Amino acid sequence: MEILVCIKQVPDDSVEIHLKSDGTPNLDGVTKVANAFDTYALEMATRLKEAVGGEITVVSIGEDSVRDALKNCLAVGAEHAYQITDAAFDGSDSMAKAELLAKAKAKLEKDNGKPFDLIFCGFEATDRASGQTGAQLAAVLNAPLITSLVDISSKDGKIVAKQETDFGYNSIEAATPCVVTVSKPEYDPRYPTIKNKLKAKKMPIGAFAAADLGVDASKVGQGAALTHTVSFSEPAQKEGGVKINEKDQEEGARKLVAMMVEAKAL
Amino acid sequence: MAYLISDEGAELLESVKEFCKNEVQEQCKEYDRSGEWPKAIYDKAIEMQLHSLEVPEEFGGPGLDRVSIAALIEQMAMADAGFATTISASGLGMKPVLIGGNEAQKKRACEIILKGGFGAFGLTEPGAGSDPAAGKTVAVKDGDSYVLNGRKCFITNGGIADFYCVTALTDKSKGVKGMSMFYIEKGTKGLSTGHEEDKMGIRTSNTCDVVMEDCRIPAENLLGEEGKGFGIAMKTLDQARTWMGCVSAGIAQRAMDEAIAYGKQRIQFGKPVLKNQALQFKIADMAIKIETARQMVSYALTLMDKGLPHTKESAIAKCYASDIAMECASEAIQIFGGYGYSREYPVEKLLRDAKIFQIFEGTNEVQRIVVARDTIGRY
Repeated sequence: MEILVCIKQVPDDSVEIHLKSDGTPNLDGVTKVANAFDTYALEMATRLKEAVGGEITVVSIGEDSVRDALKNCLAVGAEHAYQITDAAFDGSDSMAKAELLAKAKAKLEKDNGKPFDLIFCGFEATDRASGQTGAQLAAVLNAPLITSLVDISSKDGKIVAKQETDFGYNSIEAATPCVVTVSKPEYDPRYPTIKNKLKAKKMPIGAFAAADLGVDASKVGQGAALTHTVSFSEPAQKEGGVKINEKDQEEGARKLVAMMVEAKAL
Repeated sequence: MAYLISDEGAELLESVKEFCKNEVQEQCKEYDRSGEWPKAIYDKAIEMQLHSLEVPEEFGGPGLDRVSIAALIEQMAMADAGFATTISASGLGMKPVLIGGNEAQKKRACEIILKGGFGAFGLTEPGAGSDPAAGKTVAVKDGDSYVLNGRKCFITNGGIADFYCVTALTDKSKGVKGMSMFYIEKGTKGLSTGHEEDKMGIRTSNTCDVVMEDCRIPAENLLGEEGKGFGIAMKTLDQARTWMGCVSAGIAQRAMDEAIAYGKQRIQFGKPVLKNQALQFKIADMAIKIETARQMVSYALTLMDKGLPHTKESAIAKCYASDIAMECASEAIQIFGGYGYSREYPVEKLLRDAKIFQIFEGTNEVQRIVVARDTIGRY
């Protein structure tokens, strides 16, 4: 099975980010890491590849720092990695990024003579959390889309996806090619082994610019963006909680419910 | 400052840092209380190949320079010294084979490690600590076999190792010149583990007696020649000691990091306590000592990489780093005040962990004998 995994580099989500005086996020000194949901997508793709065979290619749009994220991907399951980079891409919105990913996919398929069966994306990125790119990529490719996967397997030439919903799980079968977006599975992404990490350091990472992809520069970048971020705001500060310290659990629960009723939460 | 390491080492350091942060540091707190050997953590470390860093490249290891490995081991030690000790002691168990063994023996031991096994080194006996020549374990040649009898004690990884390198007397009349080194695999009849120590610190590492009762091993399991065991053991310790200095530096670094973090947020007299120069000087002294220890470790390891003599430097590194680990842990507790004495805070554990490094792999008094002998010379 030929698998494409789309990776985004984001500011370390374990760091508390504040706004600068101009209202934009202060990212000074914040390490960039691969988006957590993308790492889940890669782990899920790797497990599928290990079960059914095939190869994984990872792609990422961004400046040279994304090469670090791509190198890490090569150490934990991917065979090939490509950076999509061009000054013309700066400020692209998710729709333009979906177009770029689709172009890169087409180029890789043409160069390698092998179509991708599955395209994995994280269901959202932990920085802007718009959750658009995967769905828009499916739309651009005119491919089926399954969102919020927590597991995937392959059966009789089809894929069987376990989709997480608010009420439980759906089991969805789909023909390939298709696009899937990945939520948090029950397992964690693997750590790179020492040897794989050292091996990945020596593996090549390709790069595609606008000209390589046949992209019309006027259709990407900030000027072509269909959506614009108007402003950022910090989450409201959490107020100190109330400690319920009753004699036993039953009394504690009783008091909790009473307080929730009083606050009109119930 | 830190170790000056290779690009490869720097990349691995990031992964090891993440692993230790996510899988080791917090988890080990509970194991420190229970004294249970945290198999689940070690299984993950093995999966990541952290236990095989010291396997030489020619036998399938990663081929890193020793200083780069030190940076990784230090990171592990900062998370939990017992964890780093287990990992490092496996390297210790492999060293007698690499120093005294033949190609087949080296290949065999390295294969076991690469497949996820651990090694252990057995020299100390109940009556033979700083005086290893007083060991009573014997090995009697019987046809194509040796039959070993004796008890080793305080053996790190003793209960969980897949192979052991132990010393035994093949000729009691010759003292240390009658001591030989043997390779024994787990499961050999007559080999068992005895009393497990309930230790003050490094509680995530396993320490126990290793007992040999009519333990018959193939004669080919002799490492080197008969009578060469003491020399192999001393060379083993010459190398291994620096690694204990490395772990010690990691404990000291953690102590300083914790002290700085706490000192910045603990408000007394309306300001963070670290605004007081008295405490800043404590931090400065810690930094001076830690960097000195680290660079001594680095120097001794570089000598090893170059195949140069390193007995004295290794002894200095181990002795100094473990002494300052105790000092830094103690001073960190002082900066934490009463909270530092509480098990709810992380620094009292560091003091308990640090103490053993002044004792094992040659007490610091023995290290000073080594340094004095090497410095003064024979007269």
